[in-house]
Amino acid sequence: MGKQYEIPMGAQHVSLLEPLHFKFTTENEKIVDTTANVYYVHRGIEQACCSKFKFRQVSFVVGRVCGLCSISHSTAYSQVAEKLVKIEIPRRAKYLRMLVIELDRIHSHLLCLSHVAENSGFEALFMKTMQYREFSMEMLEAICGNRIQYDFSIVGGVSRDLKPQVGQMVLDRLKNFKPQLEELLDIYQNNWTLSLKNKGAGAITREDALRLNVVGPFARAAGLDIDVRNETEDLLPWKEVGFEIVTEKAGDVHARNIVRLNELFVSMRMIENIINGLPESDLITETKAFPDGEAVVRLEAPRGELFYYAKGNKTQILERLKIKAPTFSNVSAMVEAFKGNEYGSTPAIIASYDPCLSCTSR
Amino acid sequence: MKTFFKALGNLFKKPITTKYPFEQTYIPDDYRGMIGFDENLCIWCRRCEMVCPPGAIVFSQDMEGKQTYHFNRAVCIYCTECVRACPKEGAIFQTAEPAKCALKEENINNGWNALFDEALKSRADYAAEKKRLAAEKAAADKAAGGKKDQEIK
Repeated sequence: MGKQYEIPMGAQHVSLLEPLHFKFTTENEKIVDTTANVYYVHRGIEQACCSKFKFRQVSFVVGRVCGLCSISHSTAYSQVAEKLVKIEIPRRAKYLRMLVIELDRIHSHLLCLSHVAENSGFEALFMKTMQYREFSMEMLEAICGNRIQYDFSIVGGVSRDLKPQVGQMVLDRLKNFKPQLEELLDIYQNNWTLSLKNKGAGAITREDALRLNVVGPFARAAGLDIDVRNETEDLLPWKEVGFEIVTEKAGDVHARNIVRLNELFVSMRMIENIINGLPESDLITETKAFPDGEAVVRLEAPRGELFYYAKGNKTQILERLKIKAPTFSNVSAMVEAFKGNEYGSTPAIIASYDPCLSCTSR
Repeated sequence: MKTFFKALGNLFKKPITTKYPFEQTYIPDDYRGMIGFDENLCIWCRRCEMVCPPGAIVFSQDMEGKQTYHFNRAVCIYCTECVRACPKEGAIFQTAEPAKCALKEENINNGWNALFDEALKSRADYAAEKKRLAAEKAAADKAAGGKKDQEIK
């Protein structure tokens, strides 16, 4: 047995995207043990939602929890608030919500993939992925009026309508994007240099993933078919617009890349279906009721299952709001997946987890 | 090998990035830009102030009861809630023009907090004054009414 060294990494580090601290115990460059420390960026959003803001304003506050999955947070909150005030939203609003969630998934997944490439030392692929990602940002700007923090889902429906010419523009740009995505899939799948850093790195078995409660693309890469879009139909009709689950078996960084890329194909198909079959109805269900009782909502954010719990007491201000972000569920598995890897491959592994600490710590 | 030729070809292509300050980037027609206000159309119901999530709109009131609209473009999140809440079409509206950056000289945070508190206080003062006047008037009416009653008797 060789000498063991402890290497701290974070909370500020060049290859870390988020304020997250890891302490690796290494032995001849092999990681034998890891501890993780999160909660560096606590902002007290839950408390603010329950004290300062009225329940209709909270959907804008929780939209600022995370820059990448803003729409997932505001949609999940809107759904939980709609359950509390007991209203059903119009069908068109449901479809528009799904449209923005899927466009958001495209840009979030491509960001993650580009960072995996960068942290594996493949700068050119990082640039290429970011270049191809730009179209989704522009489309989100055209639909929601903003590149980030869309403020699209509000309690009772959506805030803006999709203009026909914008819908047509999205379809045209998606047609351009498809060959680009195929090119990316080819590079991520077959590039020999990238495979040296990605294949076999950060692997987690299916049993471990099940035991440690992994969610999102992390779980789907390990062979678990966990996806909220596959399980619930009552709030958003995912299966109607052609959702299919994507899984891989290996559970390593490479498998996660492939799951993300294949999910983008599914997302693209869903966006096309949504725009082509957009139902005609109002955008908002108006109500003057106050939130009462308790409710729980699950939604598939780009990183996995997002969970919202809210409790109302017949006043304008909520009594309790609880947010459980997908990264929080994955932290224990992140620590597990480092074991037995080279220390040099940790940046790529961390990027492939796609951690979102501003969601986790709020 | 394919990648190699592609890389060679890229040497002679134009860059994909835009030269931002000299060349305008993509802005959609209904971009969420500056919030405009039309004083002549406003019915002074203060509903926009009530729904605004960050508190970027506030109305102050002078002793004659005339209200003034204050808006802070740095606090505003451009969510369009005020426009949706407005009962009078066109009184408060959104333009596609991006907001200008806040400058240090404008003291936009602390100055705004002070202004916000002042505006709320001015309204409370006006309400208190109005209440006092109403009470005085009621007392005067009562006194006058009492006199009348006595006269009738």
